[in-house]
Amino acid sequence: MSAVAARVEEARDPRLLGLLGIGLGLVALWLVLPPETVRVVPVPVVLGAAGVVCGALTISGGRRRLGWGAVFSGASGILGAFLITRASVPHLDAVLTWSTVFGAMLVFATPLTYAALGGMFSERSGVVNIGLEGMMLIGAFFGAYGADKTGSWVLGILIGIASGCALGLVHAVFAIHLRANQIVGGTAINFLALGITGYLYNDIYGNNGTPNDLPAIPNVHLAFLSSIPPHGLGSFLESIFGDLNLMIWLSYVVLVLSWLVLFRTALGLRIRSVGEHPRAADTVGISVYGIRYASVVTSGGLAAMGGVFLSLGFVNSFTEDMTAGRGFIALAALIFGRWRPFGAFGATLLFGFASALAPQFQNVQSWQTYGTLFEALPYVLTLVAVAGLIGRSIPPAADGRPYAKQ
Amino acid sequence: MADATPVLELRGITKRFPGVLANDAVDFDLRRGEIHALLGENGAGKSTLMNILYGLYRADAGDVLLAGRRVSFSSAKDAIRAGIGMVHQHFMLIPVMTVAENVVLGNEPVVSGVFLDERNAAARVRELSERFALAVEPVARIDKISVGQQQRVEILKALYRRADILILDEPTAVLTPQEASDLFAILRTLVGDGMSIVFISHKLNEVLEIADRITVLRRGRAIETVPAAGATPASLARGMVGREVLLRVEKRPATPGDTLLAVEDLHVRDDRDLETVRGLSLQVRAGEIVGLAGIDGNGQTELVEAIVGLRRPTDGRVGVAGDDVTGARPKHLIDVGVGHIPQDRHRRGLVLDFSVAENLSLHDYRKAPESRFGWLWPHRIVARARTLIREYDIRGGGPSTAAGSLSGGNQQKVVIAREIAAEPQVLVAAQPTRGLDVGAIEYVHRRLVEQRDAGAGVLLVSLELEEIRSLSDRILVVYEGRIVGEYPPETSEEELGLAMTGGGRRTEQVPA
Amino acid sequence: MSDQPPPPVAVPDERLPFAERYALWQRGGGIATPLATAVVAFAMGGLVVLATGHNPLQTYRGIFDGSGLNWLFPWVTGAARQTAAFNLQETGLLMIPLILTGLAVAFAFRCGLFNIGGQGQYIVGIVTGTQIGVWLASLPGPLHIVIAVTAATLAGAVWGGIAGFLRATVGAHEVISTIMLNWIAIWVGSYLIGFGGPFQDHSQPGVPVSRPIAMNAHLPVFWGNPLLQGLDIGFFVALGMLVLYWLVLRRTTLGFEVRAVGFSPDAAANSGIKVARSYFLAMAISGGFAGLAGALDILGWQFRLDVTTIQIASQIAFTGIAVALLGRTTAIGTFLAGVLFAGLVNGTSTANLDPSVFPPQLAGNLTTIIQGLVVLFVGADVLILYVWNLRRKARVRRAAPPAAAAVAE
Repeated sequence: MSAVAARVEEARDPRLLGLLGIGLGLVALWLVLPPETVRVVPVPVVLGAAGVVCGALTISGGRRRLGWGAVFSGASGILGAFLITRASVPHLDAVLTWSTVFGAMLVFATPLTYAALGGMFSERSGVVNIGLEGMMLIGAFFGAYGADKTGSWVLGILIGIASGCALGLVHAVFAIHLRANQIVGGTAINFLALGITGYLYNDIYGNNGTPNDLPAIPNVHLAFLSSIPPHGLGSFLESIFGDLNLMIWLSYVVLVLSWLVLFRTALGLRIRSVGEHPRAADTVGISVYGIRYASVVTSGGLAAMGGVFLSLGFVNSFTEDMTAGRGFIALAALIFGRWRPFGAFGATLLFGFASALAPQFQNVQSWQTYGTLFEALPYVLTLVAVAGLIGRSIPPAADGRPYAKQ
Repeated sequence: MADATPVLELRGITKRFPGVLANDAVDFDLRRGEIHALLGENGAGKSTLMNILYGLYRADAGDVLLAGRRVSFSSAKDAIRAGIGMVHQHFMLIPVMTVAENVVLGNEPVVSGVFLDERNAAARVRELSERFALAVEPVARIDKISVGQQQRVEILKALYRRADILILDEPTAVLTPQEASDLFAILRTLVGDGMSIVFISHKLNEVLEIADRITVLRRGRAIETVPAAGATPASLARGMVGREVLLRVEKRPATPGDTLLAVEDLHVRDDRDLETVRGLSLQVRAGEIVGLAGIDGNGQTELVEAIVGLRRPTDGRVGVAGDDVTGARPKHLIDVGVGHIPQDRHRRGLVLDFSVAENLSLHDYRKAPESRFGWLWPHRIVARARTLIREYDIRGGGPSTAAGSLSGGNQQKVVIAREIAAEPQVLVAAQPTRGLDVGAIEYVHRRLVEQRDAGAGVLLVSLELEEIRSLSDRILVVYEGRIVGEYPPETSEEELGLAMTGGGRRTEQVPA
Repeated sequence: MSDQPPPPVAVPDERLPFAERYALWQRGGGIATPLATAVVAFAMGGLVVLATGHNPLQTYRGIFDGSGLNWLFPWVTGAARQTAAFNLQETGLLMIPLILTGLAVAFAFRCGLFNIGGQGQYIVGIVTGTQIGVWLASLPGPLHIVIAVTAATLAGAVWGGIAGFLRATVGAHEVISTIMLNWIAIWVGSYLIGFGGPFQDHSQPGVPVSRPIAMNAHLPVFWGNPLLQGLDIGFFVALGMLVLYWLVLRRTTLGFEVRAVGFSPDAAANSGIKVARSYFLAMAISGGFAGLAGALDILGWQFRLDVTTIQIASQIAFTGIAVALLGRTTAIGTFLAGVLFAGLVNGTSTANLDPSVFPPQLAGNLTTIIQGLVVLFVGADVLILYVWNLRRKARVRRAAPPAAAAVAE
């Protein structure tokens, strides 16, 4: 009896309702996309509308942000379904080749993952790092340069990481000891990296570019995936995961490690305490400056790994300004993911998905142009998130504030 | 019971800040198992003394002895290691972390060398909290528990680090009366367990209730150390407040007119969402100075902010000259004639990087002749500033001098010139002479009396009883967000001091 | 005389230290510190040149000549003078967007905000300016130009205003929202003129480029050959904006409020200034400057918009940050820093720098390094001044004991 009552009570829980609403919106979208490709408009529209209703109830139940999320999800379900059912099935199939899109998504997400995790260490310790872009770029160059000079991609990675750490150290000195404005400092880091890598690249490699025989980071072949039954699933998995670069897998190791360090170790507790309330950390004998230095330098090293992946794992060469703003995207992913490792990772997948899907639009002549527009979507979502409409992103309390010892 | 060997001794501690002698050869000792209260007004030097003990400041002279041995701390870490725990008035807790995480931070139990042992941490916190009857839930987040529980977490932090000396800085300032009495029970348990406690407070009654001995501090000096058993509120109040020569203020008897400022049943919450003004009512009439006396932190700041529009009251009414201005914005209040001398002139009173002229025109820049249709006439601003500088005797620079480079007294003259030149009906002066020298104090007092005589209603909020007594036509005492009594200016400092510390007779509020 | 930790400071206002330190930087040092900053940056740049086996003095001399600034010397005559004039016209053209995007950073900075959205604001300006320039071909020239320029300015203002609005209402940090707005502008702009985009030139479907703007919307050239990128009247518009910037800050109630909020939001609020309104307006006006920069570039010499221009916008806008910071966000400083960086960028361009002196590809990156060093030292510059000012501050402290007690804690 009481168990039943409890269950009824649970069903009224606005939180569950909100999640249900978000789910309904997603299902509405999923139905109209390949391979399901439901062509009957009312079905997804009804589902989306149900999502909106759930959202409205959630809002009235007091959980406003979750509720608005559900309303947003339901509404996009309706809108998406409406638009997508207008399109012809062959067109949809041509664009949404899931195995291709997912595979590319993982590739595009990887440099972002490294940089976002790097940014997380820095910002969790209270130092804003908009120099991620520069730290990635310098890693990309020195990774390639190091691999070229030593003939070893392993040493290339290490040299790339070291260069990122060095740039992180510059940022740390200005942000921590000199207590300079961290945003100005980060901007300077980006300039410096752009100038230094461009200068050295031209000075060393000139017009010929990096050599074609750069030692590349190998891919990991997982042929056994195709034997996973049923056959469709196996080959689907293999086409996504079967031939990924070593550094992509490494990024998942780093992801888990970052999570472990930040949320499961004593060191992580200290890093977070310094980012939230440095004075409290100081009064229990934690070295605020020491933790911050270590975090910012780590941040540079991780961001540089993202760069190394670009030059040695992805395109196998270095070109000027090859990061092309990925550091800023990583920063956005970090914020979108609310300064949490898996949240940030999820956001990098979203950004990676957008980058992977955009070129697919090329496959349909009349849709070419939308690919570019589609790339703007993740930024709109991030802006909406920053504005607090879909769950507020709250940074570490002391993020960006220099700490003066007593 | 307390035995006679001091576990801690301070000898001749002197600490000087630029312009202030915060501690003047202070002696203090703490015996094992006693609660020794450090009693004094704000600014008496209590916290400075304890910050020296805790390694946060370095003393200019004097020795710290622990169990008879001289020690020298250069950081809080050293003090922690020596067994000293401090509960800061503003808690050093991380709001988004759990109780257990906060307690073990910096000294974490680990497994496999690196991993935080959350279970062990929680277990040890639970064990400590049960042993000392400090009820808190180890896995609760700090921002989800009450202020009283947060304070227990602070005490647990000290216990976890095996402190045997505990310093509590104004521990009841943020507590409800019920929480305060819970705290006292906890402190008695701790003392029974061999802990020695320094209890810093300015509240007479609670000191008498909890302490074994009481050291009274006044203006940086230890006046007396007495056993609590024989002390009376009156004797302690005399020690705290002292007998200073009154600053003479020439003024005629007041001729109060209509009510200009009426505050009715006002409720205001502070930044931490604690209700610090709890149903306060007062009235100020034309041509009188009403002094609001009280210890810092009894709601004065929030009251003033609510009157001048910087903070929205949760309930109640503010009226100026008959108009309801509750919750109005600062610009509106300036327009209806409310002048405000803020207590923090650096943060609120002045734009330090603006010139004197720009600061003088901070209210008037949007009106003719300083501006017309949004176009500013800097030379008119400067011309007006020249007049005001002469009229208000502002020295140390001209109209284009940055306000931040003036002396404190002249900075305050700038604020006063700006507020008074607007010919306010109501002038709210919050600690208008804080940090000023005698000459500047006299100047400020004279100006306030002039305003009164010109027919303005002046609300003077001050922590200095002397100032309140010499300037006011009526004195209201505020305690815990309410007016607890009205007194004539001749009332003795002892009597006012008693009322301010919650120990006075509770008189019915006399309607003005 | 509180001896307790001061409650108002216990929850630090993130704006306060920034404004305080910025003000210190403004007051102390005058022209000396930016000069020193630039000299140190150039010296370090010279070391880089030296380290890679070139002569720094010759290199800087070559860059100077490449910028055309040697035209100012009367002894440069003949063909050299022709070349110099041509180079100087190009440098002048580059000064226009650098000054304006510099002002876009500077104005927000005066309100305590960091606008790194100049890039996006420039792009929406350039796109708007282009399309108005294409569309209203039948209007008389001057009117057409005025409409195009105004629309572009407004578009930039809207773009900046979004970030200001979010800051003022929900407190979203302007740095993050302007980064997002930059990318949205890049992709939407690329879409509009990209393959099959609504603004693409349909006569050449294989090229992602806009239609050329109407001849009557071209800005008149007052110095040099209009066909060879002579200097157009946009230069005077940029100079006019410097004057306007100074006037708004110094001669209007709006500027008064913006400066008060930038220095001390608390004191401003205490005086009845609407802080949120100032944040919004400051960002909108900043965006307007950047939008104007885009319009003048497109109507002045580019005449049609391609994808490269959208990508180059980031270099323009980020150099604008260096211009504003080195110019200490003053009108005259922004002008001088604009000359410096326009000369540096143009002097190191492939066309202008003599490759026998120094390889232009290297020189372009040298410019970026110098910009980076300038911006880096601008931050440290505050620190140096801080040290210099300690003595003076100590004197002020003695006069104001309560502040001293608070500082000591």
